Amino acid sequence: MDDHAPLEGSGIEEPLDLVRLSLDERIYVKLRGDRELRGKLHAYDGHLNMVLGDVEETITVVDVNEETSEEVIRIVKRNCEMLFVRGDGVILSQESEWKNAPRQRINHSCIKNI
Amino acid sequence: MAITGVLVSVDQFLNIKLDNIKVVDEERYPHMLAVKNCFIRGSVVRYVQLPAQSVDTALLQDAARRERQQPAASGRR
Amino acid sequence: MSDQLKSLVERPVFVYLTDGRTLVGQLMGYDQATNVILGQTHERIFSPTEPMKSVPIGVYVIRGETIAIIGELDEELDEATDYDNMLVDPLDPIKL
Repeated sequence: MDDHAPLEGSGIEEPLDLVRLSLDERIYVKLRGDRELRGKLHAYDGHLNMVLGDVEETITVVDVNEETSEEVIRIVKRNCEMLFVRGDGVILSQESEWKNAPRQRINHSCIKNI
Repeated sequence: MAITGVLVSVDQFLNIKLDNIKVVDEERYPHMLAVKNCFIRGSVVRYVQLPAQSVDTALLQDAARRERQQPAASGRR
Repeated sequence: MSDQLKSLVERPVFVYLTDGRTLVGQLMGYDQATNVILGQTHERIFSPTEPMKSVPIGVYVIRGETIAIIGELDEELDEATDYDNMLVDPLDPIKL
């Protein structure tokens, strides 16, 4: 496909190719249910199932005071050495060190074709 | 709810079978005290916490890179 | 494949439904999609203020999608478990 020419050789043709560039890097994953993960990406598949190492999970809980119906936000953190994450729950993933991310290698012709 | 146990099998839906199970917060979830082994439907699983020492991360990384070469159902082309 | 349930056929099982309800019964059959038939089914209703209630509901066909967990019920353990003093909320509905 010719319209991919600007990306020739970059190996980036579809969204998951960007995830591949994060292999062995620490990434940030936003999940359903107000959960976030930070950890090293060891593996992923086409469903965005992932295996992450040295993971920190951040859960945002909103407690509602029954009397005043005031909302109090509480952050819960957990750590896990090795975690398989079911792709179902994944909203987005990005390299934690975004300034080093391969932004310059993405261009709009790529995005349009996705 | 979190359950620990010995992983017996996994199928293509990522349904999981566990032996010798223990519900992590048994105080709050004693409902399954009389259950020793169970089948968990893959679709209700959020995470599987694994013992890090039994995971070969190099092998996993390799497999993940290779999977791109033979795109799964989601691949274009 | 779903042959993982094979060993539970004819056995007493505990079923955790995605809406948080819990059933016990005899596993009579199942298929690929984890649709399941239970015999001599009882719904176990847990409450933080009352003893657990076991309500007989007969033969039940359960759609696979609504099942979270199926566990083999250890009858001895079940017998020994003090459900009357188990004052707890029902299991959480599965939110995904």
